[in-house]
Amino acid sequence: MKDLIEKLTEDFKISDVVYQRPDLAFVTVPKGVAISLVTELRDFEGFSHFVMMSCVDWIEEGKFQLLYLLHNPKTKTDVGVKTFIDRENAEMASAHHLWKQVWTYQRELKEAFGIDFPGSPRVDENFVVEGWTEMPHMRRDFNTKEYSQNTYFPRPGRETNDPAEYMRKKLYPNEPITAKKQDNDK
Amino acid sequence: MINKFLGFEPDKDKLPSLTAKIGDDIDLSSHKYQKIWLGPNHPGVTGNMAVELWVQGNTVVKAKTHVGYLHRGFEKLIERRLFVQGFPTSIRMCVAEPDTNEYLIATCTEQLSGYDKAVPEMAKWLRMLSLEMARLQGLLRGVPGQGGTFALGLGVQWGVYLRDLILDRFEELTGARVYHMYIIPGGVRGLLPDGFKERMEDNLRDIDDFIIRIRKLMFHNSVFKKRAKGLARITPDMVDKYGIVGTNARGCGVKRDVRKDHPYLHYDQLDFDPPTDTDGDIYARTWVRWQELIQTVDLIRQIMAKMPEKGDIKAEMPNVLHWKIPKGETYVRLESGRGEYGMYYVTDGSAKPRRVNLRGPSYTHAIALLEDMLVGADVADVHAIMVSLQTCPPEIER
Amino acid sequence: MSLKDILTPFTAWSKVVKEPVTIKDPLNREAAPRYRGFHDNDIDTCIGCGTCEAICENEAIDLVPVDGIETKDGDSGLRPKIDYGRCCWCALCVDICTTNSLRLTNAYKWVDTDPDNFRFVPGVDEKDWYKREEGWRKPEPNYEFYGLKRVEMGELHPEEREDSFVEMIKGYSKEQAEAEADRCVECGICTATCPAHMGIPEYIKAIRNDDLEEGLRILYDTNPLPEICGRICTHKCETVCTIGHKGDPLSIRWLKRYIADQNPSEKYKKILETDILKKNGKKVAIIGSGPAGLSAAHYLVLLGYEVEIFEKLEKAGGMMRYGIPEYRLPYDQIDKDVNYILSLGVKIHYNVTVGKDITLKKLGEDFDAVFAGTGLHLGRSTRIEGTDHENVYQSIELLRKITQGEEIYVPEKIVVIGGGNVAMDITRSLARLQNQKYGKVQVIATSLETEEKMPADREEVIEAREEKAIVNPGWSPQRIEIVDGKIKGLHVVQCLSLFDETGNFNPQCNMENKNFFEADMIVESIGQGMDVSYISEDIKEHLELGPRGRFRVNDYFQTSLPWLFMGGDTIQGPDVIHGIANGHKAALGIDKFLIGE
Ligand SMILES: Cc1cc2nc3c(=O)[nH]c(=O)nc-3n(C[C@H](O)[C@H](O)[C@H](O)COP(=O)(O)OP(=O)(O)OC[C@H]3O[C@@H](n4cnc5c(N)ncnc54)[C@H](O)[C@@H]3O)c2cc1C
Ligand code: SF4
Ligand code: SF4
Repeated sequence: MKDLIEKLTEDFKISDVVYQRPDLAFVTVPKGVAISLVTELRDFEGFSHFVMMSCVDWIEEGKFQLLYLLHNPKTKTDVGVKTFIDRENAEMASAHHLWKQVWTYQRELKEAFGIDFPGSPRVDENFVVEGWTEMPHMRRDFNTKEYSQNTYFPRPGRETNDPAEYMRKKLYPNEPITAKKQDNDK
Repeated sequence: MINKFLGFEPDKDKLPSLTAKIGDDIDLSSHKYQKIWLGPNHPGVTGNMAVELWVQGNTVVKAKTHVGYLHRGFEKLIERRLFVQGFPTSIRMCVAEPDTNEYLIATCTEQLSGYDKAVPEMAKWLRMLSLEMARLQGLLRGVPGQGGTFALGLGVQWGVYLRDLILDRFEELTGARVYHMYIIPGGVRGLLPDGFKERMEDNLRDIDDFIIRIRKLMFHNSVFKKRAKGLARITPDMVDKYGIVGTNARGCGVKRDVRKDHPYLHYDQLDFDPPTDTDGDIYARTWVRWQELIQTVDLIRQIMAKMPEKGDIKAEMPNVLHWKIPKGETYVRLESGRGEYGMYYVTDGSAKPRRVNLRGPSYTHAIALLEDMLVGADVADVHAIMVSLQTCPPEIER
Repeated sequence: MSLKDILTPFTAWSKVVKEPVTIKDPLNREAAPRYRGFHDNDIDTCIGCGTCEAICENEAIDLVPVDGIETKDGDSGLRPKIDYGRCCWCALCVDICTTNSLRLTNAYKWVDTDPDNFRFVPGVDEKDWYKREEGWRKPEPNYEFYGLKRVEMGELHPEEREDSFVEMIKGYSKEQAEAEADRCVECGICTATCPAHMGIPEYIKAIRNDDLEEGLRILYDTNPLPEICGRICTHKCETVCTIGHKGDPLSIRWLKRYIADQNPSEKYKKILETDILKKNGKKVAIIGSGPAGLSAAHYLVLLGYEVEIFEKLEKAGGMMRYGIPEYRLPYDQIDKDVNYILSLGVKIHYNVTVGKDITLKKLGEDFDAVFAGTGLHLGRSTRIEGTDHENVYQSIELLRKITQGEEIYVPEKIVVIGGGNVAMDITRSLARLQNQKYGKVQVIATSLETEEKMPADREEVIEAREEKAIVNPGWSPQRIEIVDGKIKGLHVVQCLSLFDETGNFNPQCNMENKNFFEADMIVESIGQGMDVSYISEDIKEHLELGPRGRFRVNDYFQTSLPWLFMGGDTIQGPDVIHGIANGHKAALGIDKFLIGE
């Protein structure tokens, strides 16, 4: 696998190679060459099985990371081709011509992240959230909890107590204490 | 005979020929076509999924799969939870074999945190046992279920009973019948209860008997043969084009099995050879699954014989409440009853995953492949085709 | 299509004569012993830590007060209430339960017309499944959601330390501290028990996040002597630590020390943002530079007061310096904490004894308020025959002299009377000195209390023995044998009990069972009393007395003379952390008194 990636590095401007396992590597390429690399891998390197396509929202960096995961059934290895695209007006060249199932992924990504794939069949059709009016629901900034709180009706009467705070109120209401710090784990 | 008497001749050649070029844009107002919704609530549909069919006469000319009736945003929910809190949510991404989801979540987190080496031996064998039990109960429903799609309900009843016995074993091993929540990051949640192996062996013997009976009932059955043979054929060249995996691929002779190609757990210590067939039609796929039934029973026996008697069930790991995993990504796959089932898992150094993305075989089987396969099919065969591809809607929409 | 394919399926008919497989009574099918059904909670074992609530991924658990369960040290008085509209029966709550009180029974059938009934407090609201033994409990073996074992602390070996006053406990490394901090479940049960109510889970979290500056800020919120407390605090918090129910309690004290150790003193002011302090123009005098006085000084100076401390001895720290031996608390660590407080502008007058060099009255006139933290510096005597001999000493007197670097009398055979921590401190100090002088140890510590009831910390006793001192408890001293003006030893009889039925101190002895401990020197270490001679009679008559001969103070440690505040050993404790808490509260009280709310 190392040889393969080294061979392709220059032509496809591969950066950031991570060998996650002996049979799985992730490579990053510029947006413009991603589809060419995927095609090259399919047509010349035996990566004939399209495993999946996925997207990760790196909202802090203003980027979406697209992943094309390909499998070579002969060598039994996988290569994940990654590329980063702008979150604003996100758009990517379509790969639907390469495998029959790709348009489904692209349709889902359009709905779930708002990434457009011009030319991809039925890319504007709803996939799982018919009639959705909020922002694309898989984006990091879509707050599921807030949404469900605003949309559904929790049964009233739920109330909880923080043990430490409750003990303070009960046992030493007037003592000096540490100001409770913002909980950044949750 | 009776049809002749009634003056009805079911000979398609005598019917008016199709006027549409199949799959073309269809003008419903021409009154030559009809639109039928199969599902989302239809006994023949596997789960909550709908197939929108355009038919002319009995023939499907266009089909569209609709999912989303069951979307609960699990991937997103898991993103918002601690690593240990993922597995109870994940299982619902595939009801048919919930254990596969638990395994994937656990393995992804372990690989990314470096604890994969720490998973105890005992836990690995128990994981394998629960995964094979999951496959078995799936096949007990799936093999006779294919007969059911052609109105052969008897085998389904036999299968469902035996499946329930396996669920009894799941219940005593994991504490639940369907949503087992057994495989946890770092290990599993319990040793075999006393007498488990004996009870399992009793069940396996009943299943041995069933395997023979179902063969006679389904595979030496003129109706089943007549309808299933030649129907919905997958050819080897389609396999990569559509991303076909599992028994759907093996039914046409493309031997792919994650357990062999990328051995995980201790599958390399088990003696088995994934069955294949050549025809690629529904009969062939079902036949492969029937052979797999035999094989799974055998695998469970092998696992029970080879697994250690006792041992630790969980690795020593950080406090689950603060467990953080360094930034990274991985893809882990396993061979589910429906084929390659995988998970793309991304971490960002925090206590929660950044992205969890499931790759279920139905994502391609039940959309791109099914939609193309239905074109030209008889309406009466639609759900047989759907079932033969082992469609599982929850894994599509998650 | 062969005829066989038409006929074979009919083999299915053979099933007709088979027994049906359906369950006879499906409504009463018993679930498997491990089945995850409805919850039960052993309400007396549960401590309301809320860890179950924290792990529940469905937010199905609330912690609610329950009638008849009292909020007390180590128990919040809350109990989990489950909402079955949300529960998915994953049993993560059971697996993590810190006391193993929570479980799921294998009951799975429950029909009710009122949805609100599906929210209940297991173990409190009556349910008929509690009698079932079957159900899900935390899996075995070695299945834990957090570490049960304390990260071991490096110590000097007995051979390395038995003749030296070098600090014995080495302190945690980063990895060790983070691993130890990882075990915390952040319930905060400990905070109530800490006399200063320190933000314990918060500073432990700062260690996990490797944000030790934040950690230091949290420490100084409630405790201005972290280096000291991080070494010698009585760590009452650890006795209630939730993790202690299934494993070793968190090493809270060592974690505190880790934070303080890692922050260099030069950076304190920057981290704690105390470079510039506002002044409010008011002045407070403090008597004594023990923890109570230092703590009051620290918080007062932060509040803008001008603070002056009057200290009898030549250095600050009180008993922390002159009592606690150096091998437990090195002097440079005391200096680190003290110097930071002084650097905030606190003035200190050494070698000034209030009542002698300056009167309390004068302080009352010159300052807007006075805080007295004078401690307990009078040794108590057993008053048995022979205690007036010159080679009968008081432990605190010897300890002070050791600190001051004075040569003290160290003969070959010593007996220490007392079973508390102070007795262990002097025993171990004397053992070190004997070792330095003679290369061997012969010191016996004896106490009224038996081994199990000895008030000293267990590890103190163990370590004293490791250092070859003899600890021989359960004896009542009778008289000191003196021959030719020289001490020969101590006569003791077996002590049976210390208190009578009414709980009064009234030791009962078995006079038949006698023993004799040879000694050239006897050290008494049976407690200290306070010296209030600095308070002149005209002031004293205005001071109300409270329980146990102490002066009465209100919640803010204000005596019945409004300008006079008092705290530390003379009021509470005796330990450092109470002194700190008292000083802090008194500072707030003084502020309230002088400025109002
Ligand atoms: C041997 C020993 C070991 C101990 N070990 C521990 C331990 O491990 N952990 C723990 O938490 N606690 C321990 N303690 C107890 C702890 O040291 C005390 O509880 C604590 O120091 C009391 O604080 P304080 O501020 O009330 O008084 P002190 O610390 O006693 O300070 C009082 C100060 O006031 C000064 N003073 C008194 N009268 C006057 C006056 N008239 N004019 C001017 N100055 C005056 C004294 O010189 C002294 O500096 C130990 C005590 C001893 C004796
Ligand atoms: S975790 Fe256990 S001890 Fe803590 S509140 Fe829950 S049931 Fe009680
Ligand atoms: S069983 Fe699971 S879902 Fe139910 S209360 Fe416990 S942690 Fe929450």
